Amino acid sequence: MIENTKSLDRTANVILAVGVLYILFPLVITLVTATQSFESFLQNGFSFIPGTYLLENIQIVWETTQLPRQLLNSIIVATMVALIKCGIAFTTAFAIVYFRIRYGGILFGMVLVTNLMPLDLRFITTYQVAANIMMPVNALLDFFGITYIVQTLTGYRMNFQVSVLNTYFGLAAPLLANGTGTFLFRQYFRTLPADLSKAARMDGAGPMRFLWDILIPLSRANFAALFVLMFLGGWTSYLWPLVAASTPEMQTAVVGLARLSPGDPGQIPHYPAIMTGALMVSVIPLAMIALMQRHIVRGLTLTEK
Amino acid sequence: MQPASIAAEIALDAVEKSFGNTPVIPPLSATLGAGEFTVVLGPSGCGKSTLLNMIAGLEPVSAGRIRIDGQEVQDWEPKDRGCAMVFQNYALYPHMTVAENIGYALKVAGIARAERQQRVEGAARVVQLGDLLDRRPGQLSGGQRQRVAIARAIVREPRVLLFDEPLSNLDAKLRHGMRMELSHLHRRIGATSVFVTHDQVEAMTLADKVLILNEGRIEQFGTPHEIYHFPASLFVAGFIGAPAMNLIEVEGDGTALRLPDGTALAGSAHRGRAVLGIRPEKLRIAEDGLPATIVYREDLGSHAVLVVRLGSGQEINVSTPLGGDTVAADQLSLHLPEAHVHLFDPASGQRLNVTQGQVR
Repeated sequence: MIENTKSLDRTANVILAVGVLYILFPLVITLVTATQSFESFLQNGFSFIPGTYLLENIQIVWETTQLPRQLLNSIIVATMVALIKCGIAFTTAFAIVYFRIRYGGILFGMVLVTNLMPLDLRFITTYQVAANIMMPVNALLDFFGITYIVQTLTGYRMNFQVSVLNTYFGLAAPLLANGTGTFLFRQYFRTLPADLSKAARMDGAGPMRFLWDILIPLSRANFAALFVLMFLGGWTSYLWPLVAASTPEMQTAVVGLARLSPGDPGQIPHYPAIMTGALMVSVIPLAMIALMQRHIVRGLTLTEK
Repeated sequence: MQPASIAAEIALDAVEKSFGNTPVIPPLSATLGAGEFTVVLGPSGCGKSTLLNMIAGLEPVSAGRIRIDGQEVQDWEPKDRGCAMVFQNYALYPHMTVAENIGYALKVAGIARAERQQRVEGAARVVQLGDLLDRRPGQLSGGQRQRVAIARAIVREPRVLLFDEPLSNLDAKLRHGMRMELSHLHRRIGATSVFVTHDQVEAMTLADKVLILNEGRIEQFGTPHEIYHFPASLFVAGFIGAPAMNLIEVEGDGTALRLPDGTALAGSAHRGRAVLGIRPEKLRIAEDGLPATIVYREDLGSHAVLVVRLGSGQEINVSTPLGGDTVAADQLSLHLPEAHVHLFDPASGQRLNVTQGQVR
């Protein structure tokens, strides 16, 4: 519905302004608090007047906490999630759209179902598998009686143990398992003219050549959008890194940030340092969005010129 | 650019296509002559694009053989068949320049850059695209994109050129221009051309031979002249010509063809039920003939089309040169020249008067 009434415009503007203020308020508090010294914070509490201690606070966080190392962890994990996700999503969508697969529809349905089963829902099983990724293999061997046969014949009881907890792979892999990216690419491929792949075949290009010469260059914006979304998803995820990484050296920045507040309830938290940490954790995703904004919008709107 | 390699004959031998259990093309056989421009014409869904894709190799045949230049190609990859194709929506690669689009096939084939450039420029010259080589498809008009698509097809000097409704996305004026250019191009290049369309004007103007397809079956395969003047079936008779041929159910008594109410339309030795066909422009307005009432008049400038009602209530089209004689009247009387009467079997739709009426 498009209306051009002035009073309506004004109301909408007011509502938007209120919304913006509502969102900005905590950010302003964060920013201002991060510039204050602990002493002034203890005297005045939260305030709207910026201080001059931002650099000192950064130094405190940088030198006395694990946050720098954890920021690196976050970068590694989020990049892994984003890169692998882009690769898997692209190739899956390529297979579904451009090949006549007998049960392609069902397969695509199963890919989409992963969106209905978020990680939070399968948390405990995911943890069990991560604690021993051979668990499904063991279960299968048990089920088919192979374990029993081998034990009877050789006396050796097969029970493989490989844990990926507290590794980068273990942190990243469960975050990869959802079908959003496949869906995104599939929808995009379907907006491309169907004759494009035929034209490439007539020109003598096989599937891989078509993928490389035509599909990938055309999908740049989608790659950028998906990369950013997945990077942010990996960066901000909290629950899984919290349990999958058991040592501070392997924890991600978001988890580390939560650990900045002291365990002792009697102690007053060093809020300026915590807020500074929050700023440091937010800078990378913010910068990424700022740089890639145009591509994200282009990659998600699915329209052709 | 070099004159193209020798054109090749395409022989379809009981070619069949079905999707799952749905037959799209029952066994179909035809020979498209080397260097000829064949237009495959039919309503949408008649299987004409499927046929073209099977010749190209984009669609596997369910059964039968396709021979190009005597070689069985039905199991070959498209690139090995020596065919090139122009697609309806051009299917240009949006991220490549015009030159890259035209030269892509050569690049895939591993042809050296210098020769590639030379051939791309040659093909671009043929379709008058010379100064647009650095543009992207997005910056071109519909007609220019079509030229790029054609250049991309001819750059490989194919034995067979396939066109999949290439003009249907252009506006009427441009379409006329492109028709002319395609005709010239065909004469210059000489490759065997197969052109799929649902537009009968394109078929009549471009074709050496027209293959009319209906539900996957060949209704008629002949020159545009044969198709128009001696339609082999009711389907062809009704499909070709605008306004369409008048089709009237009649009964023959051995001397004349009569309407159900007994009015004689034309003399004929035919006995039994039949469908009489006569083109609107072949009907003559006569002093004394079949009485008819004018119900609607369309003045098209060069001629007028009248919708008239016969005594039996059936309405038919009459195309008349613009003259004063019918302008004011609301009654007229018609004469059906026997030589222009087509007779069809009402059950099978096949033409009955094979030898009769061979008139220009």
